Amino acid sequence: MANKKPLLNTVLLLVLLITFVAGCSSTKSVHENPDKNELVLAVHGESETGYDPTTGWGRYGSPLFHSTLLTRDNDLKVVNDLATNYEVSDDGRTWTVTIRNDAKFSDGKPVTAADVAYTYEMAAKSGSVVDLTVMESVKVLNDHTVVFALKNPQSTFENLLIATGIVPKHAHGKDYAQKPVGSGPYKLVQWDRGQQLIVEANPNYYATKPFFKKITFLFLDEDAAFAAAKAGKVDVAVVPPVLAKQKVPGMRLLAVDSVDNRGIMFPVVPSGHKDKDGYPVGNDVTADVAIRKAINIAINRNDLVNGVLEGFGTPAYTVCDNLPWWNPETVIKDADPEGAKKLLADAGWKDADGDGVLEKGNIEAKFTLLYPSSDQTRQSLALAVTDMVKPLGISINVVGKSWDEIKTMNHANAVLFGWGSHNPLEMYNLYSSKTRGIEHFNAGFYSNPVVDDYMDKALGTTNKDQALEYWKKAQWDGKTGVSAVGDAPWAWLVNLDHCYFIRDGLNTGKQRIEPHGHGWPITANIVEWRWNE
Amino acid sequence: MSYTDTTINQSHISQLPRLNRRQITVLVMAIAAALLLGVVIGGFLLSNEKLMTNFEERSLSPSIEHPFGTDWLGRDMFARSLKGLTVSLGVGMLASTVSVFFALTLGLAAATMGRTVDGAVTWLVDIFLGLPHIVVLILIAFAMGGGTRGVIIAVAITHWPSLARVIRAEVLQLRTSEYVQLSRRLGRSRWWIATRHLLPHLVPQLLVGLVLLFPHAILHEAAITFLGFGLSPHQPAVGVILSESMRHLSTGQWWLALFPGLSLLVMVRAFDALGDNLRLLIDPHTAQE
Repeated sequence: MANKKPLLNTVLLLVLLITFVAGCSSTKSVHENPDKNELVLAVHGESETGYDPTTGWGRYGSPLFHSTLLTRDNDLKVVNDLATNYEVSDDGRTWTVTIRNDAKFSDGKPVTAADVAYTYEMAAKSGSVVDLTVMESVKVLNDHTVVFALKNPQSTFENLLIATGIVPKHAHGKDYAQKPVGSGPYKLVQWDRGQQLIVEANPNYYATKPFFKKITFLFLDEDAAFAAAKAGKVDVAVVPPVLAKQKVPGMRLLAVDSVDNRGIMFPVVPSGHKDKDGYPVGNDVTADVAIRKAINIAINRNDLVNGVLEGFGTPAYTVCDNLPWWNPETVIKDADPEGAKKLLADAGWKDADGDGVLEKGNIEAKFTLLYPSSDQTRQSLALAVTDMVKPLGISINVVGKSWDEIKTMNHANAVLFGWGSHNPLEMYNLYSSKTRGIEHFNAGFYSNPVVDDYMDKALGTTNKDQALEYWKKAQWDGKTGVSAVGDAPWAWLVNLDHCYFIRDGLNTGKQRIEPHGHGWPITANIVEWRWNE
Repeated sequence: MSYTDTTINQSHISQLPRLNRRQITVLVMAIAAALLLGVVIGGFLLSNEKLMTNFEERSLSPSIEHPFGTDWLGRDMFARSLKGLTVSLGVGMLASTVSVFFALTLGLAAATMGRTVDGAVTWLVDIFLGLPHIVVLILIAFAMGGGTRGVIIAVAITHWPSLARVIRAEVLQLRTSEYVQLSRRLGRSRWWIATRHLLPHLVPQLLVGLVLLFPHAILHEAAITFLGFGLSPHQPAVGVILSESMRHLSTGQWWLALFPGLSLLVMVRAFDALGDNLRLLIDPHTAQE
């Protein structure tokens, strides 16, 4: 009991101190005169695995240190980056790409077709999240032309040309992920893991040179980023929606639309199986489509947007709301507990023992909903949904876990996931029978042959419009589909706005619709950033 | 649990000159019991309505309807604090009971099972007392994967040494007393002596030990949970509430931390004072002050 009194006093002191600090700190902050050519950003996005595009860096776009064959402009239209031209053969299996001849890596060596081929070969071999299984080979035709041969046509292959940064064959060694060399607008100067990353403008960059010569990325958690913004220590800070309504002197709020969504993934097969690693698969409650549909109908998505996201978001009905391959017929009437109750009653769920929880046979309508414990927005969404479905007689136990733990439990329990990509391949990964139990993709083991057929057709066609039609049909074709009107393997909840505090006078150009928040999506147009005159 | 480090709070006593030690103890006991009952009964009667999210009443400052205010999901902070304290009480109670059990077993073993065992237990006690408490707690809770079980085991494993030392000393002293010697000469078994002579003498020590460990266990549970190694964030424990409130303090929602923190302090202080006074009463040197 030796340290009892000091501990007591420390706790008391702490409580008083934080209360005091909270009381005084909200009015005044010190804003330093910003250095004209330098920026300090607190926008998360530290990559655990480093900055090697062949193992996944930049797959959500904007790799910063690297340039890609194709890229998206601020309107998300696909335009050339390193490529000057590309042609697809009639059968869709041969892609010939010509690259520019003035591009150089930050070490001064030219970017050649050999580097491009090397990058794609390494990425295919890496067995990482970069999925190049469709690529049969990549060959160098001459110094500035490469030819990709595909095993079968794939309409989303274009996205791999957008999301794969080119690495130099001559400088791609073991520690490349820590010390990347690329041909992007910036080069990495220093990376202190868990703390900061410093980049400087790449003098050899071939396109518009960025205005800012040096950028420091601070890796702060959400509260610390907000505190840093209030203290005037950063020029851009990303904050959770719950803090976005706060006023920060000298800064303005920028809420950027995104396809970054949050939703609940349900295991759709009954329990009793194991996956290849021996982890349990299946859940008897969520395997019942009536339960999944009832939850989808009962949730009040508008309340979630206003209550949890402070209005910085929109209701979500699918993984791809408002994207070109989205089917608007998937929008359901929600906030309808009575409809949900009826659906459950029709499916044979009733509360026979009067404990407030429904039963069907000897199964009680109870299941666990996992969320990553460090994410407060997901926690709030999970808690709010739990309370919304409680009146139906569905009891959800909300449990916060680390990602490592979630990985071992996500086939047998519902999980509050977040997705959102500019690539429809993501939809394939979430719902295809082929991706069942792979990583976090189709964690619920959903499988529907009709959906599989539509998605295979969407991937396989060379006609872009036709591909969009197939993607839409996979969501709902009038009879079945992956949306809440169909099999409802997910309950999509909200699309988030990404909220940033930006220093007054800093012009960040036109912001594009951002994908799920890996990397630094806000820096996609970094070369356009400058101070207002 | 050492009997030397907790000095009598003289100023406390001089402010209340008319009350003697027993009266103070009874008073403190009444306060602690009232708090305990209040929390237990309150937590039991608490309607789930108040713990539910209510977007209409988000982030309200304290009022008559919500004496502790509401949080960012519109949950009543008074209800959450009460619920949090019941969780803390349960964890504290279980952890300190297990800890006392450890202390009793090891203390008895050290005093009765020969020199080797005594040496081993004393060494273990020294090791545990020498290591920084909170670090060991965090390590154990982390190794157990956090959660209620991890916290209970961590607190139980780290809190037994001082009580074990007291018990060992007490038993060593009792063993040399005449009636124990006599029993032994009369051929009574070790078990008989232990249960009939030793244990009854140890009961008061154990009770005081339990009461003194209890607030300590609660506080440590809150501390490691606050640091993120304890109970899961979905449980309404006080440590969780305090840690969550940190993020909202910068937006001026002071009530999220102040009231739950104060209720934890009041609870801990009450039981601490009760333990101290009981200890002083049982100790013949101070009982008559």
